[in-house]
Formats: sequence, C-alpha cells, structure tokens
Amino acid sequence: MMLKKVFVPLVAVGALVLAGCTDSNADNPGAPKDDKIVVGFSVYDMQYEFFQKMEKGTREAATAKGWEFKLHDEKSDENEMVTGAQALIDQGVDVLIISPFKPSALGPIIAKAKAKGVPVIVDDIGGGGAPYDAIVISDNAGGGKLAAEYMAKQIAANGKTSKNVASITCEPSAVYAARRNAGFKEAIEAAGFKVVAELSGNSKAEEGYKVMKDIMAKNPDVAGVFSCNDPMGVAAANAVKDAGKNPVTDIVTVGFNADPEALTAIKGGGLAATVAQDPTAMGALTVKLAGQALNKEAITFGNAAEREVFNPVLLVTKENVATIK
Amino acid sequence: MNTSLGKLWDTWGITAILLLLLAVAPVVTPDFFSLDNAQSVLRESAYLGIVAAGMTFAIASGAFDLSVGGQLALCSVVSLMGYAAGGTALAVAAALATGLACGLVNAGLITRLRVPPFVATLGTLFVFRGVAYILTQDGPKTLPYDQIGSPFVKIGGLNVAGLPLPFVIMLAVYGGAWVLLRRTATGRRVLAYGSSPEAARFCGISATRLRFFVFALVGLSVGIAALTYITRVWTADGSAQDGFELKVIAAVVLGGTSLKGGKGTLIGTFSAVLLVSVLNDMLVSQGVPSAYQRIVLGGVLIVALTIDGLRTRFAAPGSLRRAVTGQGGRTPRPGLAR
Repeated sequence: MMLKKVFVPLVAVGALVLAGCTDSNADNPGAPKDDKIVVGFSVYDMQYEFFQKMEKGTREAATAKGWEFKLHDEKSDENEMVTGAQALIDQGVDVLIISPFKPSALGPIIAKAKAKGVPVIVDDIGGGGAPYDAIVISDNAGGGKLAAEYMAKQIAANGKTSKNVASITCEPSAVYAARRNAGFKEAIEAAGFKVVAELSGNSKAEEGYKVMKDIMAKNPDVAGVFSCNDPMGVAAANAVKDAGKNPVTDIVTVGFNADPEALTAIKGGGLAATVAQDPTAMGALTVKLAGQALNKEAITFGNAAEREVFNPVLLVTKENVATIK
Repeated sequence: MNTSLGKLWDTWGITAILLLLLAVAPVVTPDFFSLDNAQSVLRESAYLGIVAAGMTFAIASGAFDLSVGGQLALCSVVSLMGYAAGGTALAVAAALATGLACGLVNAGLITRLRVPPFVATLGTLFVFRGVAYILTQDGPKTLPYDQIGSPFVKIGGLNVAGLPLPFVIMLAVYGGAWVLLRRTATGRRVLAYGSSPEAARFCGISATRLRFFVFALVGLSVGIAALTYITRVWTADGSAQDGFELKVIAAVVLGGTSLKGGKGTLIGTFSAVLLVSVLNDMLVSQGVPSAYQRIVLGGVLIVALTIDGLRTRFAAPGSLRRAVTGQGGRTPRPGLAR
C-alpha cells in the first residue's frame, strides 16, 4: 500500500544515515583524542554583562593553560541548555564547565557526562541536587561579613552611639541570599551590635521600601541597615532619604550585588555601600577546579557537603566605586 | 513546471533540500555523522516534530492552534507532578490527559462560544501557561537525579536499534497521522473543510465535530511530545518552551502545508522539522552567535515560501483543482460526505 511507498524510503534513509555514523564511543571512552585538553563552557546567556565577564574569565584561564575552549550559549532556555551541553560532551570535551539557566535541568547533562567520564564544574546559579564535581559560588557569607565590618566602622565614624541595626532579607527560597544575611548577622553581632529587625522584602524594591519605613517607625534609633540585594538596598536608602535622613551619615544603608542603580546611588551619596561579585574571577576559578578534577586531585571545598567552592567578593563604597564597571 | 513535477515538489521538495543539507553537513561539521551527534539531533527534533504533526491537521483544516506552547508547559508540569505522585504510569497518563483536556477546552471555546480559533488559542496560550506558573510557584517541577534508572527517564534516553526512542515515537506518530490524513474519511473531511468550510458543510460535514477532532488531536500530540520533552530535560515550569507555537507553525509552513488550509503534507512537515534541527545543529557547532542563528532560520523560511509562491504562480492548471479538492490533483473519492 501507499504507506509503505512513503515511509519505507524515509526510514531507509534514516537507517542509512545512522549506519554511516561512526561510533565515537568505540575509540577510548573518556580519553582525549590527542594531547590537547578541550574544555566546554555552557553559559547561561551571553546577552548579560555578568556572563560575558564570566565567559571572558573562563576562556582566558583555559587559553592560558593551553587548553582548547568551546563555548555554548544556553540563551536562557533549559532545552537549549540540555541540548547544547550534551552536544559539547558528544564533541568529546575532556571537562565541562556550566553556568546553568535551570539548575534542575543539570540532571540529564551530568548523567551523560558521568557515562563518558567527563568531570562537570558548575559556575554559580545552583547545583539542582545533581552529582557535579564542584560548584563555584560567590562568598555570600563573606560578603555579608564585609558589609557588617564596613557598617560598624561607618556608624562609629558617624558618631552614633546606638548599637541597633536591621536587615532586609530575600524570600526564604533564595538560599544563597540567606547566607548573605547570616554572614552579616554573625559579624555585626560580634562587633557588639544588635539586629533589632530582620524582615523579608521578597527581593523586591517596593517591599524593601515599605519594610524600611516600618523599621524606622519601630526603631527610631536604628543606625544601619543591610539589604540582601540592591533593589531592596536602594529602595531602603530612598525610604531613609524620604524620612529626612542621610543613608550614609545617619542610617548606614548597604546593599548587595553592585547593580548599576546601586553604583549610581553610591556615586551620588544615595547609598553607603554594596558588595560586588566577580564573575571574571569565578570563571578563572572554574578552570582551576576543572584542571584539578581532570588530574583527580582533591578539591578544597568551602562547604564540602554541597561541594561548594567560594569566590571572594568585593566591598564597593564611594572610595572605590569609580573602579567598578 | 508541469503538473507532475509540481506535485512531486509539493511533497518532496523540502525533503530534497534536507538531503542536500545532510550531504553538506559533514563538510561543515566533521562530527555531524558521529553516532552521538546524529542521535542527539533526532532526539532533539522529536517534541517539535510530534506537535508539528498535530499542527499540520489544524492548519490543513484552516485553523491555527497558538496555544501549543502553553499546552506543552502545562502537560510537562502536570506529568512531572504525576510522576512524583504515582510513578511512570501516572506521569504518562497525566501528560496525555492534560493534552487532550487542553484540546477539548480549545474546541469548546471555538464551537460553543464561537470564538475564532486564532483568538481562542491565543487566549488559552496565556491561560495554560498561567496555570503552569501557578503549579510551579514553589520552583520548577523536576525529575530528581536518583530517578535516573526509572523507566520514565528512559523514554528520553533509550535507543531502539540505534534510533533514539523519542524519534521512534515521532516516526510512529507520523505513520499514524499519515494514515489518518490520507487514508480515512476523517482526514479527507479535514482537508475538505480547510479548502472551503461552506462547501464542506453542504457535503454534510459537521464543523463542531471537525473542530473537536482537530483540536483534541493537537492536544494529544502535545501530550505525547511533552513526554519526550521532559524525559530529556528533566524539569519544567510555566516558562518552558516560550515561543514554541511559532516554531511549530514555522516547521509546518516550511514543509509546504498551506496557511490557507485544504492542503497538508506530513512528509513535508517531517522533513522540515529535521531540516530545522540539522540546520540548528550546524549553526551551533560552528559557534554562530544566537542572534545570527535566528536570522538564518528566518531567512530559510522566507526563501522557502518565496520559492513556493513563485511555483504556485507559474504552476499548471492542475494546481487550481488541487487547491479546491485538497486531493493533490487526484479525483475526489467517494466518502467525502457522510
């Protein structure tokens, strides 16, 4: 019947195509084809400056090691992330570095990498519970500590005697952001201060503004406030200004992330400080870890349970804001 | 161009271009025909291909289903919830049932509330996505890594005689769809209705039943596609496959199915889906930046339709009859009317 006439040739073409394929599994699984090590980097989205810097850091570190560098852009799409990262493994990369658009889609990628003996280093975002070799994240707790140390110093410089400070947190599901607050709290309490209010602004500017108004109403003597991201930090600073006070010299207001609006605010005295991540250095760190994983050397983790390696962060104030891009 | 050559181009033109591209592929990408890469391309093309088969029916009947992206997200999310609750069987049933339900909602809106398909499915695109977002408010639904050995995960990863299972499912879907469109009275009704709804109605074809059939079929195809999608990607939320509907429609149109309705070619759709996947694979492996990839794919669509338009304009008189009967120039068969 007609069905045969149409589908038999189609299937036959498909079979021929596959028959002509070479089985790359056959020759030495997992071993590099030549001496040159090939690293594949699957990046979240090259449209964003953060990931452009991360790509630059990764590429330059890989090239410096004499490795061949292959880039894949996930374009903020989990399907493209899985397809492209698996394609890198198919192309025979020796090690895979990935900043995952959806950490929960790391599973099929790492399953394939494991089957081929390819180590996987995750750069930022999250690990999604998959058995990656290591994940590089910014030192969020360390960033919180930097913020606390700066705040204590600035409060003293402001001549304030109040030991009351506050923090505005992100939503509870933002695990990494919660570490910023934990790091801040520990360090500021060690400096003899008391966190009188610890309220969630759900990462949003408008909620950060509202929360800050509440904090000032209930604690008129609050001397400083730390926000776990910059939208909330800038909004809190605006609330301070709207209350007729100065966010640097009256209530020391600190954000986190070095977003462009935060940097602008710091330049104009509208925010005291923020904490900058360093994606270029994060990229370089993943390459170092990739080398260690390839050589089966032990990796020193900041948090061994989750195989996390922390990358240092930088405090940004009016003094150094001009050097931050 | 004479009629038979034109007819041949209608069905096999895009397939010829696909074969040409396959011949060039190894030159551009030396690894193209490595088993891994070929399998990846076929595995990746399945979910798009399966929905494109369903969409071929919709477009041949003179309608669009713009909601398939929302349907895919919702089917994927519900299926993953089904897996968490009751394992593989429930996950499969949940995906198919959700797809079917989405199709019935669309058909209901179109026939009962008399909303044009374009508008109705544009609305449900947002509604289905919205529901998927609500279901994943606490984060995307996922297949945990420890489920790696489950039969459900195997749907996306298994190979049958060297062919990836999603692609085998796609082949089966196209086999079934081809029989349905070309060898049954229902298929001929779809084409007749697409050619001329009025004439079809005079022949006793029920517009309501036809709409329900077509949109349920699209929904079911999305349900099947969702299974091959989530077992490959392992995660879904409301944002899954944003813009999917346009990729599907582009593939169907590239394959040669007329947007005016009344003409549908599953072989063309099948080849167009593979063409898009192969082209995409080549562009990605060449490190072409994503913005240029989009431009190339858009350009291919425009060139293909331009060629098709030129061909139709200079085609032999047979094309007119084809357009009217939707029968590829053959004599309409008895059985068109009930």
